[in-house]
Amino acid sequence: MAMKNVKNVREQTDKKLSALANYYQIDNKAPKICQLKGIEILPSKIAWQKYNWTKKYFSKKPKHGYFIWVKEQPKSVLFTCISLAKKNIRQTLQNLLVVENNLKIELQGTCNTLKRNLEGFHKAIGKIVLKEGAVLKYEHIHSWGEKDVVQPDYEFLLEKKARLDYNYKVFSSPEKLKMKTLLTLLESSSANLNIMGKFSQTKTEIKDTLILKEKGASGIIKLRLVGNKKSQISAYSQIRAKSESKGHLDCQGLLIDESSKISLIPELLCESKKAQITHEASIGKISEEALNYLRMRGLNEKEAINLIVNGFLEK
Amino acid sequence: MLLEIKNLRARKDNKEILKGINLGIKERETQALLGPNASGKSTLAQVILGNPKYKISQGKILFRGKDITKLFPEKRVKSGIVLAWQNPPAIKGVKLSQLLEEISVFKGSISTFFRFQKIGFQLINREVNVDLSGGERKMSELLQVLALKPKLVIFDEIDSGLDLRKIKEVAELIKKELLAKNISVLLITHSGEILKFLRPQITNVIVDGKIICKEKNYKKVLKTIKKYGYEKCKKCQRANR
Repeated sequence: MAMKNVKNVREQTDKKLSALANYYQIDNKAPKICQLKGIEILPSKIAWQKYNWTKKYFSKKPKHGYFIWVKEQPKSVLFTCISLAKKNIRQTLQNLLVVENNLKIELQGTCNTLKRNLEGFHKAIGKIVLKEGAVLKYEHIHSWGEKDVVQPDYEFLLEKKARLDYNYKVFSSPEKLKMKTLLTLLESSSANLNIMGKFSQTKTEIKDTLILKEKGASGIIKLRLVGNKKSQISAYSQIRAKSESKGHLDCQGLLIDESSKISLIPELLCESKKAQITHEASIGKISEEALNYLRMRGLNEKEAINLIVNGFLEK
Repeated sequence: MLLEIKNLRARKDNKEILKGINLGIKERETQALLGPNASGKSTLAQVILGNPKYKISQGKILFRGKDITKLFPEKRVKSGIVLAWQNPPAIKGVKLSQLLEEISVFKGSISTFFRFQKIGFQLINREVNVDLSGGERKMSELLQVLALKPKLVIFDEIDSGLDLRKIKEVAELIKKELLAKNISVLLITHSGEILKFLRPQITNVIVDGKIICKEKNYKKVLKTIKKYGYEKCKKCQRANR
């Protein structure tokens, strides 16, 4: 079956990504940087010294992490790859991505562990600024070991008419994941935030906030969370409409076994009578009928569950 | 004998549904199973395929001489029995093409194979059993059946909810892809509409969890049921004579 090869494919993909990466950092070593025309890529600490204006985005003087400044339209996809390789390593990054007016970029960011048993720590504080009319499609992949602790904390600022598609996918969950995402949308900007993952033996806390600050802003938050093997997942999602704007929150959880727990807390805050914000939330288990149906197509129980879960995450 | 069912009794939630079924299907044979609502037709199909929802309390199921009564559903499918469901459940987010790739025994060539099938081409990019019309659902089941290269196919109400033109279309496909390739078929049907296109060699009637009639002339059975209903079959009990 094709699914048996997923792990190998992922490992190969990780290797390819690290080879392709425009910014590649292992542990806290000096990064390997591959510049692209029209884009300036630096370690954050160098950017802090070189550009005074970056200080308003970095909360404090950075030690590690990347600075990417997109000044001209790139011709290819931008890749970043940040990995853990050493036992008990602690990685704290401050990343800043700035995309100038009307430029369109695709970013594939991978954060992973190179070995499953490192007991590592990865914290990333990211700021992403999309200037007027800028468009960003960001695929953010996380793949961790069972004992890792991971804390991504990302903030997106979308200026007038900017557009964001942010897909955060957890391929392999850490022991603890504490994730914060904040999106602030200015006039006529729009964002799709998709957070999806299958969590096993993990404690996961997700907090995502979408602020529709100015007129014409619109955004959708979509969560697809799968709990397996004693996982505890809690997700608190909020849309705050401060002006005439539209927002939708779609949170869905799927429990694979009885030992896991999912808690979804959607919240809508409306501060403008012209805003339209809606939400839907549901948590379900694997349908026994669907499982038996797939088994009667020749898939064993594990393969059938995988197919149902993959379908749920893609939905 | 390809499939042999001996004195099969099965229950669901402590309610006995099958009350001593005896049925034999030979290789290259087409049989029909007719019966009123809630007579046990679909249950029999599900029990043959090993749905764990049903518990077998007595009897045996043999396939190609091997006892499969306790096998997992996936093992039964691999040995060659496939069921086309009456009401298949939705598998959201999974395209039919993905499912076919996963289950197909024709590795690597399944998409190409189905692209040549006029009807399948429209379906393979849709989610499995999500928002499909009655006809599309039946066709999706048929495509999955073909992908599994079966030796025996059980069609559970393949003709229900279809107009006569569609039934003929489905029947032609069954003829071309299964009967012409000497694959055995059991047609479970309430209305019996499809039988005139596929002409089963034996027609069985099930009432209240028991097969009470086995008849070679399907027209005779259909005529009797149409004229007098299943009450007449209960009185006749041809299988028990």
